[in-house]
Amino acid sequence: MQGSTRDRKPNTCDYAMIRFSQVTVNYGYVPGALKDINLQLHKGDFTLLLGPTGSGKSTLLRLIYMDILPSAGLVTVDRWNSARISPRQINLLRRNIGVVFQDFRLIENMTVFDNVALPLVIEGYRRKYIRQVTQALLDEVNMLAAADQPASTLSLGEKQRVAIARAMAKDPLIVIADEPTGNLDREASQNVLNLLERFNRHGTSILMATHDYELIKETPYRRIYMENGEIRQPDSSINVGKERIIMMNRDV
Amino acid sequence: MKLRFVLRQTLNNLWRERTPVTASVLTIGIALVILISLFEVSISLYRNLNDLKQNMVIEVYLEASRTENDAAGISAQLSDYGTIERIRVISKEAAAEIFEKEFGENIYDILKENPLPVMIEVRLQSEYNHPDYLALFKKQVEALPGVDEVHYRHVLVEELESLTQAVLISGLAVLIVLVFAMNLLIRNTIKLSVYARRDQIAIMKILGAGNLFIRLPYILEGAFEGLFGGMMAAAGLILAHKFIADSFEAIRFSLSVYKMLWIVTISVGILIGFFVSAAAVGHFVQKIYAKK
Repeated sequence: MQGSTRDRKPNTCDYAMIRFSQVTVNYGYVPGALKDINLQLHKGDFTLLLGPTGSGKSTLLRLIYMDILPSAGLVTVDRWNSARISPRQINLLRRNIGVVFQDFRLIENMTVFDNVALPLVIEGYRRKYIRQVTQALLDEVNMLAAADQPASTLSLGEKQRVAIARAMAKDPLIVIADEPTGNLDREASQNVLNLLERFNRHGTSILMATHDYELIKETPYRRIYMENGEIRQPDSSINVGKERIIMMNRDV
Repeated sequence: MKLRFVLRQTLNNLWRERTPVTASVLTIGIALVILISLFEVSISLYRNLNDLKQNMVIEVYLEASRTENDAAGISAQLSDYGTIERIRVISKEAAAEIFEKEFGENIYDILKENPLPVMIEVRLQSEYNHPDYLALFKKQVEALPGVDEVHYRHVLVEELESLTQAVLISGLAVLIVLVFAMNLLIRNTIKLSVYARRDQIAIMKILGAGNLFIRLPYILEGAFEGLFGGMMAAAGLILAHKFIADSFEAIRFSLSVYKMLWIVTISVGILIGFFVSAAAVGHFVQKIYAKK
């Protein structure tokens, strides 16, 4: 991707980059959006977060980029923790995390290039460096030809590729993907997964929430199952069955 | 790069919200014209009033039978009051000359004699040039033997004073209404810009953008409105001056004053736009976060 210095060797570190300790989240009068979550994510991991709609996946992801803070317990992300983080530090933390959403969240009236460059502009990098990195990333996601097009003119699959390129722009500690294939057809979904896998091979940690079982059933990655705001421990013998149950919940 | 991005965002906002922006610019322009005119008119009125007070002449007319020698005696008495700045006796002949100068005709040609009395012209020290003392002075001097009448232009001074106050008060009232309208209109354009871009603001927050980076385009939008309004007002004021100056010698300005007028009007416009939008943008961005 953007030169060898940005590449990392995967799975070389045991230290927990993200740690949830007895985390509970209550939304206003609705208690138990998350209940007593304990979780560790390691550097270089590709982790899948599975569960039906409303199981708490998005809430868990929002805790990582501190869009919300836990009602109880502690979330630690690299050198930041939820108990002692200022708004300014939250901005810094977010500059080290790439986020990909189901609805892409591109700035529609900006060009593809400007969307991908935005995290670098926010950080205040020089123009030449921004151009270099952005072009390399657009090349990587096969969107260089559309660099000058407004984001609004892209297909859904293209938008998600651009969103992934933007998430990767700052060479983040981790990319959080919240249902990144939710709006895409089979081929575009597979492309998105391939892209995330490719970035993971370069050393970027990925945490992907999905309920697209078909897409991930053959993948070897760690799976975290969520239901009703809790993490369910998978039993290896019923592993596939458990995933099917979760998918059925969602389908109902 | 950051600044380029911010400026581009600002210009996009200005273009996108061009109708409310135009309304704001016009209001700022009109308010500034009134503000600066009010300032100029007040200064000019006060200056004239002051001149008038400083140079106010009290005319003490003696009885027709009195001579210049009597006038000298009365002058000496007046000087003892200790409130006199200058005193001058005007003889019957000098009065006739003044008459000829002011009315263009010789009094002897009209009346065959000079009925003008001997007069003493008095100027008070400036601290005594107020209506209360003037009234007292008039009363005291008129009681002196040989004095027929004492005149001063107190009515004019009082009228000018009340006119100045009326201009100031009504101008300020109009200005308060305009400042209120200006504040409302600038806030409205900023609100429209912020709400139109609320998704963009939310995205930038997730990407780790700081408050200043998010808010600066909107603050600059207000400052630009102020700049345009200021330029409009300055152009209007300068044109008005050039136009009116042909009729009134007294308000013709030098080049440096015009330069000052440009700078002051535009600077005030920019400052107003900047601070009003800075106050507004924080409020509306916070509202968006609260709704999220």
